[in-house]
Amino acid sequence: MHPALVVFGYGLITALATGLGALPFAFLRSVSPKAVACANAIAAGLMLGASFGLVAESTQHGAWQTIVGATVGVVSILIAQRVLGRHDVEFGRARGAGAQRMLLMIVVMTAHSFSEGVAVGVSFGGGATLAVVITAAIAVHNIPEGLAISAVLRPRGTSVLGCAGWSIFSSLPQPLMAVPAFLLVEAFSAVLPYGIGFAAGAMVFMVLVELLPEAYGHARKPVVALQVSLTLIAMVLFQQYL
Amino acid sequence: MDPTLTVLLYSSLAAGTAALGAFPFVFRERLPITQIGWANALAAGMMLGASYSLLVTGLDRQVVRGAVGAALGILFVYWTHAASKTEDLDLNRLDESEPVYGYQVLLVNTLHSAAEGIAIGVAMIVSIPFGVFVAGAIAVHNIPEATILCAILTGRGVRVRDAGGLAVAANVSQVLLAVVTFTVISAAPSMLPWALGFAVGALIYLVMSELLPESYQQAGSTTIALVTLAAMGVVALLQGVGG
Ligand SMILES: [Zn+2]
Repeated sequence: MHPALVVFGYGLITALATGLGALPFAFLRSVSPKAVACANAIAAGLMLGASFGLVAESTQHGAWQTIVGATVGVVSILIAQRVLGRHDVEFGRARGAGAQRMLLMIVVMTAHSFSEGVAVGVSFGGGATLAVVITAAIAVHNIPEGLAISAVLRPRGTSVLGCAGWSIFSSLPQPLMAVPAFLLVEAFSAVLPYGIGFAAGAMVFMVLVELLPEAYGHARKPVVALQVSLTLIAMVLFQQYL
Repeated sequence: MDPTLTVLLYSSLAAGTAALGAFPFVFRERLPITQIGWANALAAGMMLGASYSLLVTGLDRQVVRGAVGAALGILFVYWTHAASKTEDLDLNRLDESEPVYGYQVLLVNTLHSAAEGIAIGVAMIVSIPFGVFVAGAIAVHNIPEATILCAILTGRGVRVRDAGGLAVAANVSQVLLAVVTFTVISAAPSMLPWALGFAVGALIYLVMSELLPESYQQAGSTTIALVTLAAMGVVALLQGVGG
């Protein structure tokens, strides 16, 4: 088999793993504002933790490139917000602000997968033995990201299967980007810090501008603070060990 | 200079900068609520930046101990808020005249600074330049925090210079904890990962429970998100460039 196909296959496995993040929500049926707030806080902690890890890695390749990437990431979310705000968006059963938040979440998490795909491809350039380890690591690391997406979609009425589907969709850029990155390692490792900066900037901004305000609006602040900070630490620990 | 004195010097400077927070009230009696929101977001961003820097230095140490320490730090601050019945307190009520409220705000501020003192002390153990960097970030972030405290105090009839003085006094716990943490971990270096984690957890919890919640209603979510992220980015960038 052509090595590029192998890379694509491995990338596909990591994308599918994201769908597993929807599983814990099989048991959640209530759509109370409190459940939404709680899910938002957990998604916020997961995304902040993931961003901390990403930035720590990316600043080793170049701090300024990371900042440039992060700025572009923030501006992109602002533009996406404006565009979505102008239309009366519908998403499944949700409308208005809720639907907008769901769409933004999918856009942000999908965009952030591009740089992860590049990371997979570039690291495959390092050799095949390393590759299996990296694939397993990224696959497991994708599960909480699926959890974050499902945490935003599920309380607003998306089915568990729908959550899994959108989670996998958000990771599809991984196999797609892994192949060109694997074939052109040199070129892609140069853009990697920009890409990671973009991903981290977009995720942190999404947390600050959408997820936290809604969480504080519907739940007591010690509860939100506890959920965000404990999830953040758990995410850092989780990603550090895989 | 003896390293303990270095810690004392820089943490004292950090506590002292809180006096600058009273500065706006020399010219005007009160600040518009939007600016209080800005101050919250600035302080939140710099604290998140400082906890990020600490977290990154902790990643190449014992991560599990660090995570357990972080959980303890989070739970400790949560417990102090709950035990003192301040967990649901709105910390930005500028025209609240109830006497108890003033003392509650001072208590919350003092406990807040104590956690930041641990962060300075721990960072000084990692290396003196890193400690100076964290102390600098905390020092600058003390200014907007003190401005909010002074807005509440001057609104309650406290004179501007007394408000500035009280803001510094609320930060004395920062100096104390910085020196104690530094001395204790110098004597028992194996405690470093625990203490590092504790500081990270406590700082993140403080941002999420004290600074951000009220800010969104004060200045709107886009402004708050941009200011917080920018402040955080500057601290993280300085840390990344510095090493
Ligand atoms: Zn603070």
